[in-house]
Amino acid sequence: MSKTKLDEINRNIYDIKNKDEYDFKIKKGLTPEIIEEISKQKNDPEWMKEFRLKALEVYNKLELPTWGPDISELNMDEIATYVRPKTGLSNSWEDVPDDIKNTFDKLGIPEAERTSLAGVGAQYDSEVVYHSMKEDLIKQGVIYTDMETAVREYPELVKEHFMKCVPVYDHKFVALHGAVWSGGSFVYVPKGVKVDIPLQSYFRLNSPESGQFEHTLIIVDEGASLHFIEGCSAPKYNKVNLHAGCVELYVKDNAYLRYSTIENWSKNMLNLNTKKAIVGKNAKMDWVSGSFGSKISMLYPMSILNGEGAKTEYTGISFAGGGQNLDNGFKVVHNSPNTSSLVNAKSISKNGGKCTYRSLVRINENAKNSKSSVSCESLMLDDISISDTIPTNDIRTDEVEFSHEAKIGKISDKTIFYLMSRGMSEEDAKAMIVRGFANPIAKELPVEYAVEMNNLINLELEGAIG
Amino acid sequence: MNNIKLNETPVRTSRNFNINNIKLENIKVPEQISEFENITITGDTSKTNIEQNANKIDLVYGLSKDFINQVNTQSNQKLKLTIDSKKNSQTQMEFNFDEENNTLVENIEIIAKENTRSTIILKYLSEEEVEAFHNGIIRVNAKENANIDIILINLMNTISNNFIAIQNTLENNSKVNYYIIDFGGKNSVTNYYSNLIGENSQNTLNTIYLGKENQLFDLNYIAEARGKKSNINIEVQGALKDNAKKHFKGTIDFKKGCKKATGNENENCMLLSDTAKSIALPMLLCSEEDVEGNHSSSAGKIGEKELFYIMSRGFEQKEAMKLMVRAKFNKILDNIQNQELKDEILQEIDKRID
Amino acid sequence: MVPGLFGNLKNCQINPEPLATLETLENLAILETLNSRKEIEMSNKLLEIKDLYVNAEEKEILKGINLEINKGEIHVIMGPNGSGKTTTANAILNNPAYTKINGSITFEGENINNFKTDEIARKGIFMSFQLPEEIPGVSVTNFLKYAKNKMTGKPVKIFEFKDELKKYMDELNMNPKNMDRSLNVGFSGGEKKKNEILQMLVLNPKLAILDETDSGLDVDAIRTVSKGIEMFKNDNNAVLIITHNTKILHSLKVDFVHVLVNGRIVKTGTQELAKEIEENGYEKYKKISAQ
Repeated sequence: MSKTKLDEINRNIYDIKNKDEYDFKIKKGLTPEIIEEISKQKNDPEWMKEFRLKALEVYNKLELPTWGPDISELNMDEIATYVRPKTGLSNSWEDVPDDIKNTFDKLGIPEAERTSLAGVGAQYDSEVVYHSMKEDLIKQGVIYTDMETAVREYPELVKEHFMKCVPVYDHKFVALHGAVWSGGSFVYVPKGVKVDIPLQSYFRLNSPESGQFEHTLIIVDEGASLHFIEGCSAPKYNKVNLHAGCVELYVKDNAYLRYSTIENWSKNMLNLNTKKAIVGKNAKMDWVSGSFGSKISMLYPMSILNGEGAKTEYTGISFAGGGQNLDNGFKVVHNSPNTSSLVNAKSISKNGGKCTYRSLVRINENAKNSKSSVSCESLMLDDISISDTIPTNDIRTDEVEFSHEAKIGKISDKTIFYLMSRGMSEEDAKAMIVRGFANPIAKELPVEYAVEMNNLINLELEGAIG
Repeated sequence: MNNIKLNETPVRTSRNFNINNIKLENIKVPEQISEFENITITGDTSKTNIEQNANKIDLVYGLSKDFINQVNTQSNQKLKLTIDSKKNSQTQMEFNFDEENNTLVENIEIIAKENTRSTIILKYLSEEEVEAFHNGIIRVNAKENANIDIILINLMNTISNNFIAIQNTLENNSKVNYYIIDFGGKNSVTNYYSNLIGENSQNTLNTIYLGKENQLFDLNYIAEARGKKSNINIEVQGALKDNAKKHFKGTIDFKKGCKKATGNENENCMLLSDTAKSIALPMLLCSEEDVEGNHSSSAGKIGEKELFYIMSRGFEQKEAMKLMVRAKFNKILDNIQNQELKDEILQEIDKRID
Repeated sequence: MVPGLFGNLKNCQINPEPLATLETLENLAILETLNSRKEIEMSNKLLEIKDLYVNAEEKEILKGINLEINKGEIHVIMGPNGSGKTTTANAILNNPAYTKINGSITFEGENINNFKTDEIARKGIFMSFQLPEEIPGVSVTNFLKYAKNKMTGKPVKIFEFKDELKKYMDELNMNPKNMDRSLNVGFSGGEKKKNEILQMLVLNPKLAILDETDSGLDVDAIRTVSKGIEMFKNDNNAVLIITHNTKILHSLKVDFVHVLVNGRIVKTGTQELAKEIEENGYEKYKKISAQ
C-alpha cells in the first residue's frame, strides 16, 4: 500500500518535464490547457476532464466574495501559481518556521510525523494502521480509499455524488476547487453498516499535493453510521498558502454521520474550505469543529435537512491569536417538516486576533414543526482583540420554534476571585475557565484528540494571560 | 418608477443571505416635491423653541445617498427643535397625509440642551386611499445630562411608502429613549443610528411592528458604544400576518475604549400566518474586552398552550391572538406615559389584526 | 455553652489584667508557666483583624473592625443587610473589588493585607461564597482535584480522592451525579451551598469563612450544612459564620457572636446574644451604632 502511495507521488500531476515552459504558460490566470494537463496527469476519465473544464468556466465568471475577511493578499491574477507544483519548491526541514517546530516539540509529535506534517518529509508510513482497519471493514462492504482511486474504481458512485452537494457555482473557490482538485478521501458505508471506530483522514492529508485542494466525499447509506475525523491538532505547514478543499457528505435516510475536524493550519494559510451535508429522512448529521490555525479562515459547514425528521448539530470553537482572522460559523437549511438543528458555537480572541461567528439558519415554507436553537458565546481575553457575531436568521413559516442567543464578554472578575479563593493563581484560574469554555467541544472528540486540543489551548494561552 | 437599493448594514455578510440591504422595485420616488401643510404641532414654546429651519447633514449611515440628498435639497418641511427646560416638556407633531399633501420630505433636528428633560412625539397618519411618500431624517443631539424620549408613531396605510433615517449623538450622562411604533406603509424602511460618545450615556430603543397583507418592514438599527460605561438596549417585538415580511438588522458595536459598556438586544417575532416571513441579523461587534454584550432573537407562532389557556377562558381564537399580541407589545407600551396615545395605539393593534 | 478556655476569654477582651497582677508577685515560676501558656496562646491564634477600614466602590463600608479568632473556635458575625458582613469576608480574602484603607489582617502571625487571594487560600483560609460562581465545562471532581493539588502542592490520587468525595457527598445528602456536572452550573441554591461545604471539607482549611451559607436554605438543608461544619470542625481549625439570621444557630453550637452594624462590631457575646437578636432584632444595636 505504501508503495502505491509512492507511485502516486511519482505520478505527481505537477511534475512536468519542461518546468520553464510550464511556468511561462501559467503566468496569468488559469487556462483550459493547464486544466487539461492536470487532468491528463491525474489519469482522469473523460467525464472528469469535462467536469474540470466546466468548473474552470464557472471560475472565470464568478467574482470574489464582497464580504468577510480581506483576502486581497491572494493574487487572483497569479492564481495559477497557487496550483503550481510543490515538488518544484525546495522544501527542507530548515525552512519550516521555528514556531511550528516548537509546537511539534510541545505536543510531543514523533519525529517521523513531524517532517511529514511539515510537508517536507517522505510519506509517513501509516498505511499499516489504516490497512488493518480496512481489512475489518472490507468484509462489511465499507469503501475507504483516496479520491483519485475512487474516481477510477467506483465511477458510478462518484459520478452520482461528486460536486452535486456542493455545486461548482457555489462560490469562486469552489469553482477553482472543481477545476484543480487533487487528493482527498472517499468513504462509502453500505446500508445498515455501523462503523464503530472513527475513520481518520489524518495521514491521508500528508502527501505533498494534498491538503490544498483535497476532495472528501462520504456517503453513509440508509441506516448506516460513521464517525469521520479530519485533520489533527498538529500544525500542518505548507509553503503554498491557499487551501480550498471541499467536503461533501451524504447522510441517507436513517443514517448517522459525525464529522470532526481539528484544524490547525500554519498561520500563513488562507483556509477557504467548503463543507456541506445533505441529510435524509430521520437521519442525523453532527459537526464538531475546532479552528485554531490559519491566517484567515472562512469556513461555514452546512447541513441541508432535506428529509422529514432530519436533524443536525454543530459544535464549534474558534481560537484566534495575533494576526489571525477566523471567520467561521454554520449554515443550516430546513427543507422538510419536523427537522431540527442545534448550534453551539464558541470563540476566543486574544493578542489582537479576530473571531467572527457568521451563520445562516433558514427555515423554509414547508418545514412545518421544525426547531432550531442557536447559542454562541465569545470570550475576549484582552482589549486589542476583536470578536463579531453576524448571524442571519431567515424564518419563512410560522409553525417553528426558533431561538438564537449570543453573548460577548471577558472572564468575569468575580469568577477569577472565586477560583483564586480556592488556591489557584490568576493565570491558572483563567486557563481553567478557558478550558471549561472549550470543554463542550473537547467532550465531542475522541479522547486522544481532546487531549491534544487541551494541550493546544494551554499552548495558545501560554503568556497570553496573566 | 424606480428600483432602489437601501439601508446597507454596517458589516456585510454573504450576499446569498439577502440581508445586506433591501432592494425595492417600482417605487415612486417623487421628483417634484409639492407642499406639505398638514402639520399640527402642540407643545410649550417656552420650553421648546421651534424654528422652520434645519441644517443640512451628511448622515453616517442613512438609507442611501439619494435619499439623504433628497432631504438636503428638496425637503418640504424643515424643523429645528431646541429644548431648554429642566421640567419635562412635551412636543407633539402630527403629520397627516391626504390627497393634496401626499409627499413629505422632512428634516428634523432636535437639540436637547444640558440637563433638560423632554418628550417628543412624532406621528404619521394617512387617509385610507392615499398613496403617500415619506422620506424623513430625524437627528437628535443630546447634550450632557439631557434626558429625551422620542415616540415615533407610524400609522400610515398599507399602500404608502415610509422611509425614515435617524441619527443620535449622546454626550456624557445623556439618555435617549426611543419608542417606535411601526405599523404603516407598504414598505416601511428605517435606518437608526446612535453614537454613544459620552460616558454613562444610555440609549434605549423599543420597537413594536405589526405587519399585514403584503407589508414589508426593513429595520436597520445600529448603535455604537464609545463612551465608558455607556449602555445600549434594543428591544424589538413584532407580529406578522398574511404575507407580511420583515427584515431586522440590529447591530451593537462596542468600539475600542468603551470600558464597562453594556449592550443588550432582544428581538422577537410572532408569526401569525404560515406565509409571513421574518429575517433577522442581530449583530454584536466587539473590539473592547471589558464589556458585556448579549443578544437574543426568536421567532415562531404564539404558543399553543398559552392560546389554549386563554381560549379556555372563553375567548375565541382571534380574540385570544389579539390578547397575546397586545400582551407582548404591552411590555414596550407600558413605558409610554401618555395614556391617550397608548389607547390609540392599542386600538390600532386591534384594528390591524382583525 | 460558654467557652472555657483561658485564651478565649482574653481573646474576647473581657479580662486581660491577671497577667499584670501576677507579674508584680515576681513569682518567676508562675510567670514562666504563664509565658509558655502565652506562647501556646500565640500559636493558638489564627486570625487577628485590627482597626480595619474597607471601601467598596469608593464607599466606606467597614469602619474599624477588630476581631480575633483562635483555633478550636466557632465565631458568628451577625448583622442586618448592608452592615458590612460580606465585605469583611471579601477583605480577608483580599478581593480586588474591595480596598483596604486602614488596619491589618494577620493570619498565624503574618500580615496578609496585601497577599493575593490564592496565596491567602493556600495559607489555609477558605471562604464559602454567598453566590458561588458557575464554571461551565469544569466538573466538580476535576475542579476539586485541581484545587486540592494547588493547596497541598502534592499530586492527588484519583481513586482515593473520588472515594473521599463520595463519602462527603453522602454525608451532605448530595446527588453523586453532581460530581461529574459542571461546577455550580444549573445547581439549585441549596446544591450550590452544599457544594461550598463539600469544598471546605475536601480542601480542609485552617479557617473557614461561611458567607451567608445558610441563607435561602430550607430547614433540612441548614441541618446538612451544620452537619458539614461539625464534620469539619476540630481543635486545630476555626470557623467564622457570617449570617443575617439565626436559623443555623439552632443546629450548631458556637463560641462567640459578634453583632456588626454599620461597619462596626457593636457587641460581642455568646450564643445567648443570638437568641436575644432572634427575639428583638437589630433595632437596639442600630441605635447604638447611630450614637
